[in-house]
Amino acid sequence: MDTEFSQEDLDFQQDVQQFIKENLPTGGEMWTKRSEWFQALRDKGGWDIPKWPGEFGGPEFTPTQRYIFDMEMGRHNTPPVLPFGVGMLAPILMNYGTKEQQDRFLPSIRDGSVNWCQGYSEPGAGSDLANLKTKAELTEDGEHYIVNGQKIWTTLAHIAHWIFCLTRTSNKGAKQEGITFLLIPMDAPGVEVKPIITLGGSHSVNEVYFTDVKVPVGDRVGEEGKGWTYAKGLLVHERTGLAGIQNSVLALEKAKENARGVKVGDGNLLDVSAFRNKVGELEAELLALEFTELRTLASVSVGGDPGPESSIMKLKGTEIQQRITQLNLEAAGIYAAPWGAQSVGPAFARGATQGYLGGRATTIYGGASEVQKDVIAKKVLDLGS
Amino acid sequence: MDLSYSEEQILLRDSVQKFVKDKYSVSERNKITATDEGFSRDTWKLFAELGWLALPFAEEDGGIGGTPVDTMVLMEEFGKGLVVEPYLPTVILVGTAIAEAGTTKQKSEVIGGIIDGSLIAAFAYAEEQARYNMNDIATTAKKDGDIYLINGTKSVVLNAQSADKILVSARTSGDQLDADGITLFLVDAGNEGISREDYPTVDGLRASEITFNDVRVESADIIGELDNASPLIKKVIARGILALSAEAVGTMEVLYKDTIEYTKQRQQFDQPLSDFQVLKHRMTEMFMEHSLAKSLCMKATMLEAQGSVEAARTLHALKFLIGKSGRFIGQNAVQLHGGMGMTEELRVAHYFKRLMVVDSQFGNSDHHLSEFVNSGH
Repeated sequence: MDTEFSQEDLDFQQDVQQFIKENLPTGGEMWTKRSEWFQALRDKGGWDIPKWPGEFGGPEFTPTQRYIFDMEMGRHNTPPVLPFGVGMLAPILMNYGTKEQQDRFLPSIRDGSVNWCQGYSEPGAGSDLANLKTKAELTEDGEHYIVNGQKIWTTLAHIAHWIFCLTRTSNKGAKQEGITFLLIPMDAPGVEVKPIITLGGSHSVNEVYFTDVKVPVGDRVGEEGKGWTYAKGLLVHERTGLAGIQNSVLALEKAKENARGVKVGDGNLLDVSAFRNKVGELEAELLALEFTELRTLASVSVGGDPGPESSIMKLKGTEIQQRITQLNLEAAGIYAAPWGAQSVGPAFARGATQGYLGGRATTIYGGASEVQKDVIAKKVLDLGS
Repeated sequence: MDLSYSEEQILLRDSVQKFVKDKYSVSERNKITATDEGFSRDTWKLFAELGWLALPFAEEDGGIGGTPVDTMVLMEEFGKGLVVEPYLPTVILVGTAIAEAGTTKQKSEVIGGIIDGSLIAAFAYAEEQARYNMNDIATTAKKDGDIYLINGTKSVVLNAQSADKILVSARTSGDQLDADGITLFLVDAGNEGISREDYPTVDGLRASEITFNDVRVESADIIGELDNASPLIKKVIARGILALSAEAVGTMEVLYKDTIEYTKQRQQFDQPLSDFQVLKHRMTEMFMEHSLAKSLCMKATMLEAQGSVEAARTLHALKFLIGKSGRFIGQNAVQLHGGMGMTEELRVAHYFKRLMVVDSQFGNSDHHLSEFVNSGH
């Protein structure tokens, strides 16, 4: 057993750090120079698509290299890529799409010129996703599906160009067997988006309504009725991506900084042992979670699966995220209450309230924590039916 | 020992419940919180007519002679409806100060105005650097001949934009952290030199940062004793914490009951969510936390009403528990509502936000736990 990186891996780490030093925009330019950053990653050799296979342009990192890469990117708070196209749809197209579909969609997924959103959840299909009811009926001539139904909690549907959708093509047999994977342009006639404003006051999720939307059969991915198997493998990936360990390490440092700025008696809030202990617990647990991620990656490197054990990452990672938002809320004190355009009190206060409120979603989306526990109990611990 | 409500308390509870049921639906509340003032003057007038604004004041001051227990009964029902009218700042906070320490003239003017609904008041005591220490006061009131000049800034003052009178704690002597040397002044909101930054709060109320710039007040505007307002401020905040806690108990009850209702009708995996044992246990825990919070609220209120030596310490335990239980119940109400708990459409989100704000006021749960532990035997 060895936690030391090889010289090769250390050289790689240096390489990544150097790249970031040379190319990462700072401060205000983080947003305006995003495309330059992604172009630089791309020019480096597929670093914009680190998880894609080599045949599609990916850099083919070893698991250790990927760990180093993700860690350095997370540590430096580099601009995140929207996950839906690059991380979620692309693997499905690569594994189950036709060459024509890969050629048609992968380049614009890669360069970000086409935004995608994920049409999975429905009002009646949250935790029980297989219960989805959005219908896709094949026309008599067999050329199109006519789609009718509704998706909900669709992140960034309001700025997406296309949506990948799980639809129901059959009611025969088990729920999972009648699900088909379709690709639909958001500007197709019959597609309507309605915003949902959530707890923190932000607009990121939406309802998407489909009324007699005509989808060419060529925009179906894989076989009719196999959509569930394609999507299920993907959901495991969605769950590992959500742990955001490095983001939490950074967020905890920020919370400490915020607390240091809050005067309490002769010192500051970080001097108060009740608060300091909470910070300490989080630091210790993040060390444990970080190493758990390394164990997961090590298992993949010897040909294993990330598998259901990776559910621990989302389960614990999101709990930690929430506890950090709570630290900031506590630090804001009476300034947790003010809302609206003005900024009163300490500079971090408004973001503290928003972060705490919005953070309640992390244990709900991507598989609610209660569901995660059931999955682990059943698949890993062999408990229950 | 009798822990049952009196007949009058039952009547009071029922009438507030009826008001909330008939006139305070979520959509009604949303309309009210969207107005400039953030509350309804018509509703305030109704409160006056119903005698609720007179509840805690002595009969000789024109009140009904209600006890803190009566206030608790009313506030719990307000909490169930998430009532936004400025009862806490006006009747409880400023009202208590005047009732305890006001001159006959001050009582007649202020309490009279509160009771007939013509006077709204705000309590400006907290400051940005103070972090829940009510003695940390940088706002000064310097004597200048016959008058005082107030200078400084007060933070998150509830309903300041609607107030006719503002009760301000300012330092008339001593160092910034001294318990002695603090004086309470009742200031006309329209006084020259007062400027405000008004804002909504995340739970639908209204508050302001108030800056005092050479604001002139007279000795006649002092409430209670010069340099010795600390004990009075402590009493005012104690009454405020009790009222806020009772309100929070009502809010918690709605949250756990709404969660039970929702999980009974929401189906996934071909069964109601309420069939899952994990969720049954969670809701049982929410019910348990509410029961404990309500019990401690009753105890703390009765000790205060009796003038018991245990009242102050019990109050710390109460505010600690309200924060902790409020967090547990609120967070789990949102969680068990799934995605719907994150929307503004259901009342769950609003009740959750209210409990979040309650914990931030008058000292959060960590602060009061520390005070409780340090005042132990």
